[in-house]
Amino acid sequence: MTDTVLVVGAGPTGLSAAAGVASIGKKVILVEKEAVLGGAPIISGYAKLVPSGEWAKDAIGRMVKRVEDNPNVTIHKSTRVTKVEGESGNFTVTLSNGQTAQVGSIILGTGFTHFDSINKPEWGFGTYEDVLTTTQMEQMVSAGKIACPSNGRVPERVAILLCVGSRDRQIGREWCSKICCTVSTNLAMEIKELSPTTEVFIYYMDIRTFGLYEDKFYWKSQEEFKTKFVKARIAEVTKSADGRLLVKGEDTLVKRPIVIPMDIVVHAVGMDPNEENPDIAKVFGIGLEKHGFIDRGEQYTSTFSSTRRGIYVGGSALGPEDIDTSISHGLAMAMRAVGEMNALVQKAA
Amino acid sequence: MAIHEKTLIDPDRLITSDSLVVDGVDVSGHWNTMILPRTLRDYDDGFEDHLKQYSGAENVHRCWQCGSCTNSCTMYAQNTDFNPRYWIYLTRLGLTEEILKDKEIIWQCVSCNKCTNICPKDVRPEGVMKALAHWIEAEGHGAKSNSTVFDEEFARQCLVRGRIEDSEVMSNFYKLSQQDIKEMALHGWLGIFVARMNKWNELRHGHVFRFLARTPIMHSLHMGWSMIFKPKTKSWGRTGEVLSQYVKEQKELAHG
Repeated sequence: MTDTVLVVGAGPTGLSAAAGVASIGKKVILVEKEAVLGGAPIISGYAKLVPSGEWAKDAIGRMVKRVEDNPNVTIHKSTRVTKVEGESGNFTVTLSNGQTAQVGSIILGTGFTHFDSINKPEWGFGTYEDVLTTTQMEQMVSAGKIACPSNGRVPERVAILLCVGSRDRQIGREWCSKICCTVSTNLAMEIKELSPTTEVFIYYMDIRTFGLYEDKFYWKSQEEFKTKFVKARIAEVTKSADGRLLVKGEDTLVKRPIVIPMDIVVHAVGMDPNEENPDIAKVFGIGLEKHGFIDRGEQYTSTFSSTRRGIYVGGSALGPEDIDTSISHGLAMAMRAVGEMNALVQKAA
Repeated sequence: MAIHEKTLIDPDRLITSDSLVVDGVDVSGHWNTMILPRTLRDYDDGFEDHLKQYSGAENVHRCWQCGSCTNSCTMYAQNTDFNPRYWIYLTRLGLTEEILKDKEIIWQCVSCNKCTNICPKDVRPEGVMKALAHWIEAEGHGAKSNSTVFDEEFARQCLVRGRIEDSEVMSNFYKLSQQDIKEMALHGWLGIFVARMNKWNELRHGHVFRFLARTPIMHSLHMGWSMIFKPKTKSWGRTGEVLSQYVKEQKELAHG
């Protein structure tokens, strides 16, 4: 029992945790609900990652391979955890494929769910073909051609709207999703690389490209790729008679209403709590914080603990998180999980 | 008038009439004030690059609207409508109509360069002000400044004859800048200036030599002579023509 760790979720957090636990010589059971490993970057088809600039399928692909090639890791795809019994050092878990397993610790890398733009109908997603989300735009970049979905024309203008599903009390999203500013400035550069005649406008309330992302993404996008930043919260996206989209709002710096024609409007969608978090909380017997992300236990001496002993949680399950930090969380949780098992063994001896 | 947010309303969008009848209904009084919509309907995507052809605006695209330039601005302290941050933003988006609303004050930048020193993104706002002022003038968006009128007349004469003729420069400058010489002589500074040259008092008191020494007789004669026989640099020949051609080519190179 105390030589095996259950890792739930095979995104950047879970893959990192699994590799970490295996590298200390313990066994890992890795459970992933989807049929492929890699998490959001793979399933949603991200293009180049921030900040490495590597294609998601290459970078995350290496993480997947490292885990798949490790004999200490047993992988269950298209599988969920349905029951957790016991306590730290001696959990019995039941999987949806009917198998049961004895594990000492549990690591949750259960991630997030992209905000569904349909919940902001005034911004035209689902109504107009040329209104896309950042994930769809990333897929377009991955496919290598920038074109309006409605009729295939090369867009003269692309507008990226920030804070779609973030910082919005109207729809109960009171958090900043942390990474969309950086992703959007990066996306603007990718669009410009593929389609140099396209002008990219980013409509913002604030630009929060934290840490080193400031100059590597925000400044670079503005200075080298001539992305235009417009301080306006868009009120509505409509369509004009000629088929172009119209973004309507108030430019708060000019202090005047704007109705500007655009060819593609991209929603920089935020990170919601994993939509299955209520079930996850029930199965694992852990708490959720007020927004619906998984709640933390004591952090200063019991880092990455959930509210239940022996179950650790990290990455974007805790709240909006970037990939690099999620990977660090995974490795830190491996340390915590194995450390706790060792302590129990020593105590028993 | 029942309008409070005056700052949001440009006078040219405000329509009032003393008496107004709409569809047979007399709406004179409070209800005859109409305001045209102030919605901005498009950007001029090429304007930022266009302005960069004027020296000084090369870094305008770096601006992130922190407002340090306006905060530090000497002219803003005098007139809060003088707002470099705002004009840089308008430049980036190509909202040229909005820029031109301020064409009468943009040129007032005194080039103290406090903005350039404080700018965290190295936009060099002072250069942008210069470029905007040049753009407004060069592309005929505003009246030429007096100093430009003077420079042009000065340069014109240099090109024609290789040198200037003082009285012609001045009289043409006043004419082109629509300053009334007669008015200036009768009631303005020109009359006072000439009156001060009056040394008849010296002569009346018998100071003949002092009178001759202090009255610009020879200068006036020389001026009069030059007005008729305009001085020309020796062997000037086609030099002016060649110079004009060169200046024209350089301008085309700079501004396309």
